[in-house]
Amino acid sequence: MARLTSLLSAATVAACLALPASAGAATAIDFFFPVPVDGKLAKEMQRLVKLFNEEHPEIQVTPAYTGNYDETKIKAQAAAAAGKPPAVVLMSANFVYELALQDQILPLDPMIEADGTSKDAFMEDFWPALHKNAEFNGHVWAVPYHNSTPLLYYNTDHFQEVGLDPDQPPVTWQDWVDAAKKLTVRDGDQVERYGLTMSGSYDMLGWTMSALTMSNGGLYYNPDWGGEVYYDTPSMLGALTLWDDLIHKHKVTPEGVVDNKGVSSSFLAGQTSMVILSTGSLSFIRENMEGHYKVAFVPKNVRNAVAIGGASLVMFKGATEEQQQAGWTFANWLTTPENLGSWSRFTGYFAPRQSSYALPEMQQFLDENPDAAVALDQLRFAQPWFATYNTVAVRKALEDEVQAVLSGTKKPKEALEAAQANADAIMKPFVDSTALALPN
Amino acid sequence: MTRLTPRARLGLVLTGALAILWIVPFWWMAVAALRPAAVPVLEMGSLLPSWPPSLSSLADAWDSADFPVYYLNTTVMVLGILAVQLVTVTLAAYAFARLRFKGERVVFYAFLLQLLLVPPIFIVPNLITVVDLGLYDRLLGVMAPYFVSAFGTFLLRQTFRRIPVELEEAARLDGAGLLMLLRHVYLPLSIPALVAFSIVSVTSHWNEFLWPLMVVNSPDRQVLTVGLASFTQNAESASDWSVMAAGTLLVVLPLLVAFLAFQRRFVNSFVFSGLK
Amino acid sequence: MALALPAPLRVNAASARPGRRWMVAWLLLAPSLVLLALFTYGPILRVLHESLYGSPLPGQAAPFLGLDNYARLLGDPAFRNAAWNTALYAFWTILPGMGLGLVLALALEATSRVSSVLRAVFFFPTLVPLVAAASIFVFLFLPGIGLLDRYLALIGIRGPNWLGDPDVALYAIIGLTVWKNAGYYMLFFLAGLQQVQQDLYDAATIDGAGVLARLRHVTLPALRPTMAFVFVIALVNVLVAVDHVFVLTKGGPSGTTDLILFFIYRQAHENHDLGFAAAATVVSVAVLLLISGLGIETLERGLRKEEGA
Repeated sequence: MARLTSLLSAATVAACLALPASAGAATAIDFFFPVPVDGKLAKEMQRLVKLFNEEHPEIQVTPAYTGNYDETKIKAQAAAAAGKPPAVVLMSANFVYELALQDQILPLDPMIEADGTSKDAFMEDFWPALHKNAEFNGHVWAVPYHNSTPLLYYNTDHFQEVGLDPDQPPVTWQDWVDAAKKLTVRDGDQVERYGLTMSGSYDMLGWTMSALTMSNGGLYYNPDWGGEVYYDTPSMLGALTLWDDLIHKHKVTPEGVVDNKGVSSSFLAGQTSMVILSTGSLSFIRENMEGHYKVAFVPKNVRNAVAIGGASLVMFKGATEEQQQAGWTFANWLTTPENLGSWSRFTGYFAPRQSSYALPEMQQFLDENPDAAVALDQLRFAQPWFATYNTVAVRKALEDEVQAVLSGTKKPKEALEAAQANADAIMKPFVDSTALALPN
Repeated sequence: MTRLTPRARLGLVLTGALAILWIVPFWWMAVAALRPAAVPVLEMGSLLPSWPPSLSSLADAWDSADFPVYYLNTTVMVLGILAVQLVTVTLAAYAFARLRFKGERVVFYAFLLQLLLVPPIFIVPNLITVVDLGLYDRLLGVMAPYFVSAFGTFLLRQTFRRIPVELEEAARLDGAGLLMLLRHVYLPLSIPALVAFSIVSVTSHWNEFLWPLMVVNSPDRQVLTVGLASFTQNAESASDWSVMAAGTLLVVLPLLVAFLAFQRRFVNSFVFSGLK
Repeated sequence: MALALPAPLRVNAASARPGRRWMVAWLLLAPSLVLLALFTYGPILRVLHESLYGSPLPGQAAPFLGLDNYARLLGDPAFRNAAWNTALYAFWTILPGMGLGLVLALALEATSRVSSVLRAVFFFPTLVPLVAAASIFVFLFLPGIGLLDRYLALIGIRGPNWLGDPDVALYAIIGLTVWKNAGYYMLFFLAGLQQVQQDLYDAATIDGAGVLARLRHVTLPALRPTMAFVFVIALVNVLVAVDHVFVLTKGGPSGTTDLILFFIYRQAHENHDLGFAAAATVVSVAVLLLISGLGIETLERGLRKEEGA
């Protein structure tokens, strides 16, 4: 029992040690952030927050690392439900819409106006593609923080080997399929090297499908109202048929679902010659394949277009007036052109502010990393990221069906019809209470 | 040590072969964690270690999170849970083992529910309770839901039942109260079961992820698995397998080492926990 | 050990004065019951209540639905899919896991230097967080490059897309689960084997019973309570330990690894349909409670039989 008691007292001591070191009358706020790219980001973010706390003795920000994007949303919502809303959260940009619908986050325009700016002036500096995911229903709901797009990565050694010009990446889908056929290496029936691999795991799959659909002239979803998706459309059918053909007709893409890690690893291993990955993977690929790869726009059938991705800062409801003010100060500090620029250089994400790229250190960075410059060029063609009522469920309605096509158990047409029906069923309560709620 | 029959020998050989299969993932983790940074990804699947081994991935992993603090917090968490559990479990086990009372069966099944309903299933209601108790963002808040253990109660109840009642009666004649009785008769005779339960408890809570993630905000109160998640959960990046293996190794190493150090005693206590 | 149980309980329990016994009992149970009330029963009541309501639309209160959520649940193809997957997963993890655990326990029962090393090896996976085990297996299962495919290629086998083929993914996850749990179950069986009384063995040997006959007529019947316990533990694992599914497949491809807890999680956090998630929780917990209750009953009956013997 003596041991028991000492253990108990150890626990008590630890619990006491864990009391917050509250800094006088400073306003204490929580900041939740996920780490979508690399463990080191968590440390860098903690360093930034420490810097902020030192510069602002009247505010005490607690930086909480909160897992991935999904876990961050769950944690923020659970904390809010339990009466401890985080003042500021770095949230996946396509969750902003549903959080606003659910009335869980604050509109930011009152604070913008209190600062003496209009919301148009505030948003102006951000890349145009980012606006729809941050500003809707007449309010600004989020401040973009870091962003990415899908990008075509290709192995220049393989290009040379099969007589393709490494400086002439495929521009159209026709070029793309031709290149993939040339790049594929077979040994009898066995494929030794695939021409092209794209990620089929949840989340990345929806993003990739939106890039293909948009490149095919389509839209994927209604950017102005979260009750419509366009899965059963010619542009989507063309995009999915392309993918199905790559696997089952041309046999230049592996069958079944390959996840992000599988895609990047097979690209590094030289087992696939072209891949679609996030610009967020750029630093890692650069480190491991320096000089043997290049990047290009996602090829087009109708037009150049990809969906933007990334995360934005939102502020949860329920905090006190002081905490809201403190949170707003913090959010503004994080999103100065300088801070966004340095975060961008550290992580490999885009900085959402155009003015960040006017800074000399950013110019220098782009000069040294021409691949980052290509990725940046593609931003001009970027479109908003899909965000609907219950975004993830609606996205998965498509992804489950697309996975069936990738595995060869369904044809594109029937898969898309099923996806549309499932998505419509998920959105029905919202549709019924908005667009179909008609005057008596 | 018993003399082995040929049949037992054959059994050992077959189990040995299976054991090799079982150890492969660990072997791979260690080998991968010690690969130099320049090893191409195609070589990552090899089970042959690179020579000379490199500590660069381990250093990378170590740098990316505040491991010393996480180790400390995790240790405090698992030992704190265990300490309280040992008390609640002992008391409840005695009641179930030795006292007949009305509603015993109902209460017994009510305990069983706890086995099925771990905190991660009830994130929101449990978080509300934790906030109400003022334990949000405290390690104590992470621990509280685990302070009672149906598993431990069952385990100890069986052990207590096998302790001869005569011992209890003798102690009572000597004037021992209930707590004295537990301390001097029941607990000393249940050490193997207590050790077995402790191992199960420590291992499972060492592995807890979602619930600590929900309760704790402050970086200086975070636990190991949350640090591990930064290697395994990154959605948008490509994967550095060596660093991932190194990070995983950092998390499991203390438990593996502790287990190896005490394995004889531990496995034996499991084996003998049923004996009188 | 609980599971191992046996040692006859000829002695009748408790010497506290009968009148006060129930008070003492409740007093001893009080700390546990308070905690259970806070962290188990409270949430259960809340979930039961929630399961009667629909999801609130923006700016409105949640509508009362009665048992509609339950009706919807039983007709929901996604729930049926998850339930079926869970049944498959339970069957293929519990049966081989327990079988392997038992075989290992029998093989490693005799204590020797070799067997204690082997016991340690089989127990190792239990020490690894499921999240960590899963992140290692992400690589082992990696198509073309991973450990499995690399070594299968050496013997001329081209591995399937382990986690990306809808026909294979669930079984890949089952393989990981068996690897992780077999050693855990082995320990319980080892403990149980210690309870098998040597005189029963001796008697059977004298009667001329061979190894298999002794296994069938002596060992296995004696292990019944242990099996019941391990079964309950394994069943609980099936429902609550799904971290590896989160890391490896997130329920895909095409929902083929969608397990019950995952389904509940998706309803609560992706569809924001708390009432529906609550109904699914209630139904799954009820079913599990029923099955594990049967397991516990077997265990208790075994005990009582011995007590009576």
